[in-house]
Amino acid sequence: MLDAVANSLAGMAWPLALLLAWLAGEAASRWLSLPRVCAYGLAGFALASGQLGLLPAPAGTPVALVADFAIALVLFELGQRINLNWLRHNRWLAVTSLVEAFGTFVAVLLVARALGLAPLPALLLAALAMSSSPVAALRVANELRCSGQVTERMLHLSAFNCVFAVLVFKAIAGYWVLTSAGGLFPALWSSLVVIGVSAGIGAMFGVAVPTLLRWQQRGGGNATVIFAIATLLLVSLTHALQFSALLAALVFGLVVRYRRIVFSGADRGFGTLGGLLTILLFVFASATLSWPQVAQGAGLALAVLAVRTLCKVGACAAFAGLSGIGWRKGALTGLALTPMSVFAILLLEQTRHLGIDVFSQVAGLGLLVLVLELLGPVATQRALILAGEAGREEGRNGA
Amino acid sequence: MALEAFKAGDALTMGVELELQLVDLTDFDLTPAAADMLFLLGKKPFPGDVKPEITESMIEISTDVHTDYGALLGQLGQMRNALVEAGDRLNVGICGGGTHPFQRWSEQRIFDKPRFQELSVLYGYLAKQFTVFGQHVHIGCASADEGLYLLHALNRYLPHFIALSASSPFLQGVDTLFDSARLNSVFAFPLSGRAPFLLRWEDFADDYFAKMESTGVVKSMKDFYWDIRPKPEYGTIELRVCDTPLSVERAAALAAYLQALCRMLREQGEPVSEDDYLVYNYNRFQACRFGLDATLVHPRRHQTLALRDDVLATLAQLAPHAAALGSSGALEVLRRVAGKGNHAGDLRRWQSESGGLRGMVDAAVRTFRGDEP
Repeated sequence: MLDAVANSLAGMAWPLALLLAWLAGEAASRWLSLPRVCAYGLAGFALASGQLGLLPAPAGTPVALVADFAIALVLFELGQRINLNWLRHNRWLAVTSLVEAFGTFVAVLLVARALGLAPLPALLLAALAMSSSPVAALRVANELRCSGQVTERMLHLSAFNCVFAVLVFKAIAGYWVLTSAGGLFPALWSSLVVIGVSAGIGAMFGVAVPTLLRWQQRGGGNATVIFAIATLLLVSLTHALQFSALLAALVFGLVVRYRRIVFSGADRGFGTLGGLLTILLFVFASATLSWPQVAQGAGLALAVLAVRTLCKVGACAAFAGLSGIGWRKGALTGLALTPMSVFAILLLEQTRHLGIDVFSQVAGLGLLVLVLELLGPVATQRALILAGEAGREEGRNGA
Repeated sequence: MALEAFKAGDALTMGVELELQLVDLTDFDLTPAAADMLFLLGKKPFPGDVKPEITESMIEISTDVHTDYGALLGQLGQMRNALVEAGDRLNVGICGGGTHPFQRWSEQRIFDKPRFQELSVLYGYLAKQFTVFGQHVHIGCASADEGLYLLHALNRYLPHFIALSASSPFLQGVDTLFDSARLNSVFAFPLSGRAPFLLRWEDFADDYFAKMESTGVVKSMKDFYWDIRPKPEYGTIELRVCDTPLSVERAAALAAYLQALCRMLREQGEPVSEDDYLVYNYNRFQACRFGLDATLVHPRRHQTLALRDDVLATLAQLAPHAAALGSSGALEVLRRVAGKGNHAGDLRRWQSESGGLRGMVDAAVRTFRGDEP
């Protein structure tokens, strides 16, 4: 009897957590004018097994697959918004991207080594620090209906630094497997082949789905559903084959943009579905963190936070003039790139099968991720508002 | 403050203003990029003039004063290239067209400049609904009275300009079945339509304008949204009915057509009468609705005639004037338009070929660049 009650409660844990997170998000938005996603993250952390204990440890459960689906939808949407021609016309933007990403990598690596971290964990930490979470960036931009140079550049730079982060992280993880478990084959497999094949699968979907759409109907309104289903399929497929769902989804979106015979009617953020999955994604990501992980390594976490922000803001401001905007907007672009948590957690989650527990190896990563989960979206929000790129907020009608 | 004196100058000079759309290259909706574009364009000398318009997703360019069609076309081409280059660096598409086919006017941001903010307060949603894009052509006049004469003598040819330039069939996501839906938006303004029938500048300035000003309704000529209005500080009359064409080549041809027409009217000097305006609004509607397929009523002979035939006949009649002005090439461009159809027709075709309005805007952006869509 008691077991039955406990079981049914356990079954309700996720819906309840989503409800609480949603309430927290609305409260944060209405009364504090903070991005909703901050509150989702905080709620997830508070309710996690290590803290209040409503949620079971989510890592490796079916919920992880749903979270992957959620982030894949975001990356698909992001991929659609990436215009590679822009880099051809604006070489300094490409330079900005390389400098902010690899500058962050080098700086974080040096700081981590200086604070006594072993070489391999320091490398992994530096690789993670390159990435700017596109989830928070896109969500905040959509929530505020932003458009303008800072928004566009933030989204492009975020997409590129995520690709760099995956490349470098997988390569280092492959090296880790090589040195700690032995065998050249698994190391190469986990880096180069995974990346190539993931991108290939994404490209294949990018060619197939628009063709299907064109055959099904000309320019109909069902594009959103079909793209969502295709993304779900893509995530399941890459999971089964242990490839990178993140890269595959990004490339899927990118190829759809260029193969666009039928222009997609996919509404921003996948509408209601996207809204629900975003809550789940943020709750999931922060529920993987536990207090002991967060409580240690504050010095390293704060040092990395400072250096990372400095690098991104510095690089974007330094090349702003050359790439055609004022230095102030450049600096705001760098500030808007602050979020990293959700992407980093999902990247770590997807490399669990390699047997690497980065959180236990890198004291301070937990705190860094938690702090950025809360502060990252706020930084993006403030940067976009300061740049004057926020439109009317979604759902609030002007009188 | 009395209306300023008409700065008469050389006759038949011309200048062109184009209001252009700034579009997002991902979803092809309008994007509020004017401030960023102006910042970047301000870094080097611009081959002409560029300035903000009422909403942040519009930009306006204007040429110098020209007498020669070739020079006008050359400058428009240079300005186009400078804009396209800046747009490339900022990931912003630039295109012509009298309306954006699916933008929602409620989402437009008013450019941060006192006059625009005042207009926004006064006209409310009309100001945002005024997110339409026109070509204005100025023609220099030797005297103020000549300006008023040309202004009224041109009334019969106004439908030509509407039909030849029409490029706004879509509005708020639907095909309006008008070739120029833009002019319907302009008509919503209280001071739109035609100028009062006055042929002497003293009557216009001291009588009409002074009275209007004393009512408090207008402060300057800028407050009139007439189809053709005098512009005393430039010494020109300004034709305002054209949609911004999809290419600068067509914009230059339309200006040269007006220049040649004015040359002919000056030489003929036929008297004008207020009764010419009896059929004005009807003809104007026909041209907006049906473009080159419109049926007009001749203001004097009161017989119906096909607009397309009237355009072709006028083009033939203008040949010696164009030859004298060096703009025969422009008339050739318009003869092809009369034969093959205007930009509204192109837009409708692209919409059905690409399966959507986004594909259509994509084609319009490429047309403005000078690429084949």
